Amino acid sequence: MSERALRRRHAARWVAGSALVIGVGLVVLLATRPPQAATEAYSPLVGHPAPAIVGTTVGGSSFDLDSLRGRWVVVNFFASWCPPCQQEEPELVTFAYEHRAPTDAALVGVVFDDSASGARGFLQGSGATWPAVVDPGGQVALDYGVRGPPETFLVAPDGTVAARIIGPVTSAYLDASLRQAEQAVA
Amino acid sequence: MTARRFSPRARARVPWVALVVVVGVALGVGANHPSAPTAPQREAAIDASLRCPSCEDISVADSSAPTAVAIRQLVATRVAAGQSDAQIDAFLVSRYGPGILLRPPVSGITAAVWIVPVVAMAAAGAGLAVVFWRRRRLETVSVAADDRRLVARALAEQAGGGPGPGRDTAPVP
Repeated sequence: MSERALRRRHAARWVAGSALVIGVGLVVLLATRPPQAATEAYSPLVGHPAPAIVGTTVGGSSFDLDSLRGRWVVVNFFASWCPPCQQEEPELVTFAYEHRAPTDAALVGVVFDDSASGARGFLQGSGATWPAVVDPGGQVALDYGVRGPPETFLVAPDGTVAARIIGPVTSAYLDASLRQAEQAVA
Repeated sequence: MTARRFSPRARARVPWVALVVVVGVALGVGANHPSAPTAPQREAAIDASLRCPSCEDISVADSSAPTAVAIRQLVATRVAAGQSDAQIDAFLVSRYGPGILLRPPVSGITAAVWIVPVVAMAAAGAGLAVVFWRRRRLETVSVAADDRRLVARALAEQAGGGPGPGRDTAPVP
């Protein structure tokens, strides 16, 4: 084998070795990365009346956000195709169960860029029992200034927006946000 | 046929005449511009001035994201309802914040972004004008009577057999 061919083979080994190291490094980085977390974010709606949510749920019944006036309401924008929404869904189920008392905080879903059937299957699969309103055309999402799912809004008993949370929530995070919002209102 | 020759003074006026003509034509065209834009033109202009909320720095007009589609629909509805551009912008700012506007409003701290360059340009222009004016003033030096006499004597000496052209001459004190 000529010296040139040997040199070329040597270089190819180096390139392959480097690519392997970079690939393994990326896999390790992605595998050990902490999951996306919920964060409270700016919204010009905070402190202002919550936009109306009037429509039909994925189950076919009618819904009006005003019917929940007097209770804290957690409005969650979600889609079945969104991985962070899939991540937070069991946490929302836990939250809904822990706040199942009739006067406790209520949970409402708003379907974001998803079909009613897709959203229905997603909710049934996770054991969700709260109403989820379909939003054809994304009008409700636009009224709330939603950029992408999941986004969650806390609506105070007087109907004003208390907080906007972006990213997948946990039951504990929602409880803490509610406590903080209740203290701010009191 | 011989080309007509213009005096240097007339030639110096040519750029100014051209400037007056260009400005006049621009003002005339601007004044006779077709009146209000049509509804689709307004929608396109508004869409192009809004940032897609779920994208990275592209306009609502250029995005196919669901939020951009919803905003385009909203803009079309509100334009058809007769709302002004400012009213539509105000509604979207009340939902998404001022970041929804690709061109920030001229108020508060953002006003400085618009005003400071204009003020800096004006100050720089004024500074240059002052510098040129002073330099021009310095060029017109007043000559004392003694200096004039010295120069006249030197010229007379030169004319009467002094150092000729191409030879070094003693500097006039």
